[in-house]
Amino acid sequence: MPPTPWRLPLACALTLAISLPALAQQPAPAAAAPAASPSWAQGRGAEQANSPLAPHSPRLTATPADRIPVDAIRLPAGFRAELWASGMPGARMMTRGEDGTVYVGTRTIGRVYAIKDEGGTRTPRVLAQRLDNPNGVAVRDGSLYVIAINRVLRYDNIAQNPNAEPVDLTQAFALPTEAHHGWKFASFGPDGKLYMNIGAPCNVCDIDENKHALIVRFNPDGSGREVVGRGVRNSVGFDWQPGTGVLYASNNARDWVSNEVPQDTLHRLNRVGEHHGFPFCSGEAWQDPGHAGRVCSEFPAPVAMLGSHTAPLGMRFYGGTMFPENYRGRAFVARHGSWNRDAKSGFDVVTVTLNADGSRGTVEPFLTGLLDSGDNSFKGRPTDVMVMPDGSMLVSDELNGAIYRISYAR
Amino acid sequence: MMLAGGLALALALPASGTLAADAARGAALAEERNCGACHGARGVSAIENIPSLAGQQPEFIALQLVLFREGLRDVPPMEAPSSGLTDEQVEDLAAHFASLPHAPPEDRAPRNAEAFARGEALAGPLRCGICHRADLSGQNQVPHIAAQREDFLAESLRAYRDDKRRGSDTQMNGVVQGLSDADIAALAHYVAQR
Repeated sequence: MPPTPWRLPLACALTLAISLPALAQQPAPAAAAPAASPSWAQGRGAEQANSPLAPHSPRLTATPADRIPVDAIRLPAGFRAELWASGMPGARMMTRGEDGTVYVGTRTIGRVYAIKDEGGTRTPRVLAQRLDNPNGVAVRDGSLYVIAINRVLRYDNIAQNPNAEPVDLTQAFALPTEAHHGWKFASFGPDGKLYMNIGAPCNVCDIDENKHALIVRFNPDGSGREVVGRGVRNSVGFDWQPGTGVLYASNNARDWVSNEVPQDTLHRLNRVGEHHGFPFCSGEAWQDPGHAGRVCSEFPAPVAMLGSHTAPLGMRFYGGTMFPENYRGRAFVARHGSWNRDAKSGFDVVTVTLNADGSRGTVEPFLTGLLDSGDNSFKGRPTDVMVMPDGSMLVSDELNGAIYRISYAR
Repeated sequence: MMLAGGLALALALPASGTLAADAARGAALAEERNCGACHGARGVSAIENIPSLAGQQPEFIALQLVLFREGLRDVPPMEAPSSGLTDEQVEDLAAHFASLPHAPPEDRAPRNAEAFARGEALAGPLRCGICHRADLSGQNQVPHIAAQREDFLAESLRAYRDDKRRGSDTQMNGVVQGLSDADIAALAHYVAQR
C-alpha cells in the first residue's frame, strides 16, 4: 500500500484555501440568480417568516436492502411490489437501452447508474460521476444522452461499449446555466427529437418567456431548438399519449402561498409554443397577486390537479398489457412529496384517467404507504415511473436509492 | 473529470444485514485516517480554517464526506482522507464526530460587542435560525454552526457568496449573496460566539 497523505499531519499545513470546485469547470452556477433571498424563501409572506418548513435532506449513502421499505408499499388488489435494484443513492429518472440496461440519473451525488439484468441478478454500476445534477437520461439509436444542468453528453453504442467516453454536445445545445430548477427531465418524442424542461430559476419571479419555464425540443445533435410549451414553471416528467401522440407534462407550482394553494398540475401540450400560465396563473386558476399582468382565462386549463406541494415528477402513460384493462392508457405520476406544507402530502404514485378528448383527468391513488400521516413522516420518495416491456412498472425511490418493480397477477 | 472505465467504479453495495452507523467503528477509522491531526484529537479544531467536527450533525458530515469522495466539493486536503471510503464508513465517521462533545475552540477570541451586535442584526433578516435552528445547532443536512471557528465560518461564507462552494443545493449561495466582507466578518463573529 503506497504512503497515504492522510497519515501525514503535514497535510493540514498545506494550503487550505478553498479552491474552485470541480463544478467550476462549468459556468458559475448561481451567479446569475437575480434574487437577494434564497430561492426556497422567495415569495414567503410575513406571516410565514418564521415557518420552519425547508427542503428535505438528500441521503447520499446507500440504504441496505433490508432497510428499504418495500413492505410498507400498498397497492390495489392483485398488484405486487418487489425490490428490483438498490444501492444507488439519489436514484431518480430512468430510461432503458435497447439491450435492456436501465440508466438512472441523479441530482446531488452527480452520478449516472447503469443496471443490467444478468440472469435475474441486477448489480448497479456507476456509469458516470462528478456531474452537476445529471437528472436527465434518454436513449436513442443506441446512444445514451445525459443532461447535467447545461451539459449534454452522448455515449454512443452504449450497449456494446459500456465504458465509452462521451461526445460533449454542451455547446451545441447551449442550455442556460442556472442551477435552480436547472436539472432536466429528458425524453425522445415520437418525432425523434430530444425534449427537456428548462425550469424557472426561482420560486416565483419575472422570467424571459423564451428562456425559462419551458419545455423545449432539439434535434439530437442540439440544433433546431424549438419551444414546445412556455409558462411551465418546472416539469420533471412528461410523456406522449399512446394513440394520439399528444404530449402531457407534470408541473410543480410555486411555494409559500399557503398549505393548499396553488395545486401542482398535469398539462396537455396541445399546440406548439402555447403558454401555460407561469408566473401569472397556477393550479386551479389561481391568479398570482404578485404577477397580475396576464389572467388565467388566457391560458389552457390544466388537465388534472395533482395536489398542493406534492411535487409530481416522473409521469408516463401505461401502454403495457400486464395491468388490468382499466389501467391501460392511464398516466402514472410519481409524487415526490411535499416540503412546503405543514401536513405532508404526496410520497406516492397516482394514476390519471383521461376523458375521451383528453382534456380532463381523474386522479386516483395507486402506490401508497410511504407517507405516515399520523406522525407526518415519510419512508420513501417515489421519483420516476417507467413501463417495462413485460408490462410491469419500475418506480424509483430517491430517498432509498432503490427501484421497485410493480407487477400484476390475477 | 469523469471516470470512464468500470475500473474502481464497482459500487460498494452494502451486504445485507449491514449494521446501522457505528460510532466506535468510526472512532477507529478516524484514528486510522488521522482526522485528529487537523480537526483536533476530540474533534475541536485548533487550526485556522479547519472546522471543528465535534457534535456536528451526522447527516451533514456524511453529505460532505460523500461530496469530497465524489470530487464534487474540492478541498485538496480532504481528497486523500475521503478517497475510497465506503458508504458505511462515511456513516460511521459521521456517527463518531456527532457523538463527541461540542465545544468552542480553545483559542476563541473574546466577544467584540459591536461586531456581535452587527452580526446578530444580520442573522435575523437572513433567517439563519430557520434552517440552522434558533440555537444554531443545525438539523439533518444543515450544519451546527454555533461556536464553530470564526475564521472557518468567514471562509465558508465567502466561498458561498463567491460561488466557490455549494451544499446539496444553492440555498446558502442565495442567502449570502451580496454580503460585504465586513458583513461576513460580523456574521462569522456572531455565530462563533454563540
